[in-house]
Amino acid sequence: MVLDSDPVVFINWLRPALFFFLQAAAVLGLVALVGGFLLAAFRYGPALGGDATYRMLKTALSDLVSLSPRRIGALARLAVQESLRRRVLVGFGVFLLILLFAGWFLDTKSYDPATLYLSFVLTATTYLVLLMALFLSAFSLPADIKNKTIYTIVTKPVRPGEIVLGRILGFSLIGTVLLAVMGLFSYFFVVRVLNHTHEVDIASLKSTPGDTEGGRSGRTTLAQNHRHQVTLDADGNGSTDIAQGHWHEVDKHVEGDKTTYVLGPPQDLLTARVPAYGKLRFKDRAGRGVDKGINVGNEWKYRSFVEGGTLATAIWTFEDITPERYPEGLPVEMTIRVFRSYKGEIEQGIRGVIVLKNPTNGRTSELKTFTAKDFSTDHMKIGRKLSDKDGNPIDLFDQLAPSGELELWLQCIDENQYFGVAQADVYLRARNASFGMNFVKSYLGIWVQMLLVTSFGVMFSTFLSGAVAMMATLASLVLGFFTKFVFEVAQGTVQGGGPLESFIRIVKQQNVTLQMEPGLSTDVVKGADAVFMFFMQSVTSLLPDFRQFSTVDYVAHGFDIPADVVGVQFISGLGYMAAVFAIGYLFLRTREVAR
Amino acid sequence: MASEVVVETRNLSKVYRDFWGRQKVRALKALDLEIRQGEIFGLLGPNGSGKTTTIKLLLGLLFPTSGQALVFGRDATDVKKNERLGYLPEESYLYRFLNAEETLDFYGRLFDMPAAVRKKRTNELIDLVGLNWAKRRQLKEYSKGMARRIGLAQALINDPELILLDEPTSGLDPIGTREMKDLILRLKSQGKTVLMSSHLLADVQDVCDRIAILHQGELKELGRVDTLLKVRGETEIRAAGLSELAQSEIRSVIERHNGTVMSMDNPTTTLEELFLAIVRDSEARPGRRAKQDS
Amino acid sequence: MNQRARFIRKIVYVCIIAALLLPLSWLSQPETSESKGGLLAQMRKDNQLSQANLGEIDPASETIKLATLGMRGVAANILWEKANYYKKVEDWASYSAALEQITKLQPNFVSVWIFQGWNLSYNISVEFDDYRDRYYWVIKGIDFLKEGTKYNTNEPRLMSDIGWTIAQKIGRADEHVQFRRLFREDDDFNGSRPLAQRDNWLVGREWLTAAEQVVDKGVALKGESPLLFHTHPAMCLINYCEALEEEGTFGEVAKNAWKKAADAWTELANRDLPTVYNFTIRLNEKEFFQQRSEQAQAELNRLTPPGSREKIAAEKLAALSEKEREAHDTPAEQLTAEQRTIRYEVDQKLAVGHLELADRVTGEDHAEALKAAEEASQADFIANAIESERGIVNFDYWLLRCQVEPNDDTLAARKLIYDGDKAFLSVQLPQAKANYAQGFDRWRQVLDTHPKLLEDPNLTDELVDSITHYQGVLHQLDETFPQPFLLQDVVDKDAIFHGPRLGPLSAKPTDAEKPVAEPAKPAVETPK
Repeated sequence: MVLDSDPVVFINWLRPALFFFLQAAAVLGLVALVGGFLLAAFRYGPALGGDATYRMLKTALSDLVSLSPRRIGALARLAVQESLRRRVLVGFGVFLLILLFAGWFLDTKSYDPATLYLSFVLTATTYLVLLMALFLSAFSLPADIKNKTIYTIVTKPVRPGEIVLGRILGFSLIGTVLLAVMGLFSYFFVVRVLNHTHEVDIASLKSTPGDTEGGRSGRTTLAQNHRHQVTLDADGNGSTDIAQGHWHEVDKHVEGDKTTYVLGPPQDLLTARVPAYGKLRFKDRAGRGVDKGINVGNEWKYRSFVEGGTLATAIWTFEDITPERYPEGLPVEMTIRVFRSYKGEIEQGIRGVIVLKNPTNGRTSELKTFTAKDFSTDHMKIGRKLSDKDGNPIDLFDQLAPSGELELWLQCIDENQYFGVAQADVYLRARNASFGMNFVKSYLGIWVQMLLVTSFGVMFSTFLSGAVAMMATLASLVLGFFTKFVFEVAQGTVQGGGPLESFIRIVKQQNVTLQMEPGLSTDVVKGADAVFMFFMQSVTSLLPDFRQFSTVDYVAHGFDIPADVVGVQFISGLGYMAAVFAIGYLFLRTREVAR
Repeated sequence: MASEVVVETRNLSKVYRDFWGRQKVRALKALDLEIRQGEIFGLLGPNGSGKTTTIKLLLGLLFPTSGQALVFGRDATDVKKNERLGYLPEESYLYRFLNAEETLDFYGRLFDMPAAVRKKRTNELIDLVGLNWAKRRQLKEYSKGMARRIGLAQALINDPELILLDEPTSGLDPIGTREMKDLILRLKSQGKTVLMSSHLLADVQDVCDRIAILHQGELKELGRVDTLLKVRGETEIRAAGLSELAQSEIRSVIERHNGTVMSMDNPTTTLEELFLAIVRDSEARPGRRAKQDS
Repeated sequence: MNQRARFIRKIVYVCIIAALLLPLSWLSQPETSESKGGLLAQMRKDNQLSQANLGEIDPASETIKLATLGMRGVAANILWEKANYYKKVEDWASYSAALEQITKLQPNFVSVWIFQGWNLSYNISVEFDDYRDRYYWVIKGIDFLKEGTKYNTNEPRLMSDIGWTIAQKIGRADEHVQFRRLFREDDDFNGSRPLAQRDNWLVGREWLTAAEQVVDKGVALKGESPLLFHTHPAMCLINYCEALEEEGTFGEVAKNAWKKAADAWTELANRDLPTVYNFTIRLNEKEFFQQRSEQAQAELNRLTPPGSREKIAAEKLAALSEKEREAHDTPAEQLTAEQRTIRYEVDQKLAVGHLELADRVTGEDHAEALKAAEEASQADFIANAIESERGIVNFDYWLLRCQVEPNDDTLAARKLIYDGDKAFLSVQLPQAKANYAQGFDRWRQVLDTHPKLLEDPNLTDELVDSITHYQGVLHQLDETFPQPFLLQDVVDKDAIFHGPRLGPLSAKPTDAEKPVAEPAKPAVETPK
């Protein structure tokens, strides 16, 4: 799985995040206060304006204290009833339809069907639920104001905060139930679609070359557009190779004189690996420490390469290497990209070595060679009892990682051939978490997104008409999904310039790599873009980065979603909701609901 | 009077502005009112005269451009006043997908009433407005009259001390109108204060203790209904089926009693005339204002 | 009043809608047995954008088109961008999923199928290190193209691309040995095709000939040269023969294969091929037109007074300017760059054309001479056109090969050299020596019969490789390399083509040419 940055650690994240939140809250609060006062002062004069602002603050506080669960509950219930009346179930119907026909649109011959199907259901659910949250939340309050049903609400002892909160809760409840049902359906859909088995193609069984014990190998029958190679031991038991990201166990069954081979369910297809990542550094071909390896000319700079047959090394430093955590030794998993500068032996993979090293005293284990196969994950079990390079026995935990820290050195053996790695490419598979739980965790991410969209929708609907509120929420959503892009455009790192410039380029059919003709008009265009993009950047930096809440990649690639990520999602979601609630309250409080 | 002032407006004005902040309509101009506990107060005026604006200002649905609206001595924008107040809007703005019971239960919850109390109040009020037979039907199936009744019921859910009724008889048939008036009188008898607006003179005349006549946002007349309608020095007698003899007898009787016999006037006509006179007068001399009487 | 206005407005709307719909319905009138249908229907047909019958309509494609609410162009664009992104970040599963969706959206966009099919087979496959993975992606690209033919029946470009990829990608890649083996073993791709016919060149040819048949039925071939298009199937057979021999199959099998290839080549030579000029040619008619030109010229010569040609030449020479004359008189190696251009022009000017010659004929014969001159010019022109087309596909060379290769001599020579190479690689030196010696003998005979074969750089390259091995074998056996060497002409020719590769034939070979090369030792330093 591709991890662009170091995995987040909740505790380290929390403090600066909290500080930033308080800072932003203080600044925004101050802006609101001053703005409110100026507005009131303009209308009623400074003295009365000041008084109004003071009273506003006082009521806001007392409103906050006197929030009544029963009233909020009643309003939430109303929101639920309203949603049901507005045929929210149609959305669910659409979802079922999509699932039903998903097979039509998905590549059944895919290289990696689990990833494809999982990311499909998760993405489809996300879009559908967010869209539904958008429609429900943005139109409700404006509709009440337009139908004047709001009159009978605000003339009861209902606080504006309760109206906002009640709606957020109600729509979220609907969204939660829908999401839960969708999750359930998606889960069974994926499991049903991906589950399969093969039979051993008996005719293909031949004795394994080089196996003197009587082992045999052959292939399985075709199922779900793939087959496996089977390797059996003399007893007829064994396993298949990895195809489409999974493998099967093979058991021999003898009934009378009939021998059958039974393949188990797909293994490693729907998993949740819990990886322990290390910290990656490099050494160049002369053995000097460097930040990155070589770029072999890829546009994508994620992986960097070490040259074979030289001192170039990729070094991971792992922590917490204890016998308690790894009682059965170190389960190393590697995904290594291979780059050949000459063809060499075509049927022979590029070879590499792994060495474990004590970072404090430099003791090393003996070399462990392997043949790299790119775009697939190599599994390697490193037992506790090892020997050092001179052949003396050495203990993995006591002698190589006494402090819990261990280095893994990776080199390519073949001269002028290269290995490409990124930090997340080599990890220790600490354990397996439950796939179901991982699925749930991913849905929690979608859930937080749904909550955010609902909150934004309700917030915008406190002062905008329904359609406009929806557009505003949609805009926040889109900006939230393209945060990175907006920032890049604002900083000028994206080719083609800002919106005005790129529009001109489109009209003139001008290539993005071409410089604009220097001159006044270009200056004006660039200036306008700069101002606009500054504004966009400011707005965007206040909005949640929605991709942060997406954990589709983890589930799709079979990695456990770290609790830290879930924690960060929850807390930041909560932070945004609090802010959005405050804004919604403020707007509803200070507006006339009648016309 | 010694009784407590429940509603008070001081110099209350409202100007509607358009999107750009330009003045569009001066809906209410410097209204001064006092409504005391236990009285039925009528706001009278043609459409667009500022009656509904006044009520919305008193409810805090609108914010005054200048002046003050006080309810129970609190600012009209204060939510707390709502606990002792009931409001029947011009049309019944209720959730059409709820039935009568659910509606009342919902509004009961908004008053933070416990379940048992809500249940009791709901049943009482449904009986009161006579909708027991239709209490399980969604409001969208209700006729206009039924919707008015359930609207009234929700206004009374908290047993309010002050009830604001915006055009309470609009859309009701004659029987419904009569029942509504009876109900208003019954509320008064329970010691509640009622503020109602109407453009139907008969309604106001029948039930109101005092009325204010608004026209183009200005208060034109304010006073007790009987005082306002008393036309001095004129008597009307109408009778039917009297013989010549009887008529002369009556005449002689009146003479004998120095002209104080059956004085039958037609109040509707009179209020209507009063009203029309005010409108004519107002259009002729804009800006004349009523004096506050007491 | 108000209601009336509203009613009128509605009527107006309905009228406008109807007015807009009318031309639309006229344009999109469907095709029936009586009429050709509206403009849209005709355009659809002309561009092969519609499925001919209901059974061919793919519900998935239709739903996904509908689901984009008429924005499928935009959607396809976004997906294309996404596909590019996935390719950049090496997310192949998502990449091929995106391709699938694009083609569902715009199944009749043939260039997309062709471009992305190529992308899968040629560009994605090489991203993988394992040759089996590479083969998987080559096949995936072929399957992708095949999928395209379901939506675009009778599309020669797609069919030809399928044939090309099966034949050329599998048969010509660096991994062709492995690919061809995997292709033979691939039950999933070949289905029930018998093992003997599972040769990528033959299977590829099936698709190429199918494409040819479609074109012969009258479907336009867009964006591909007809000459190359029709050469591919025949070339497949030749390549098949070469592959057989490379893998050590000689004898009757190879002989028959070569004969078949020769037949195919003859068939190609007899095929009417459209050219860029407005006439069709046949590759084997060059000689015919040359002959015709000669006859016409003879007739012309007969009619013209003797010495006319020389006379015209002399007149032309006399008419040259000072500068031109200078360029004409200077020896070729002393010409300046400017003079070289002039010289070329002068040579053109001085050439005496048939028509010029005919103009010298006076009297009654003039018309006849003119006719002969025109005929000669025309025949020359066609012969030149055929010659240039022949040059493009290396016609003469392949014709020669097809003639020579099925001969027993050639087959035996090739087999001996093959056996020699095999023995050399397995270090059976005496065996290798014997094979080589006999093989070179046989080649001598073949070359003497067909001296034109010497002009083939591939052949000299192969032979010189073997001669080098032979040299090494003799060295190992402590024998001297025979002088003069039997195939010295091959060695000399090869030196012209590839530069001298062989050490002085008498000298002993260097160590580098010893047969057993030791693999490079791993140069890994253990971490300190």
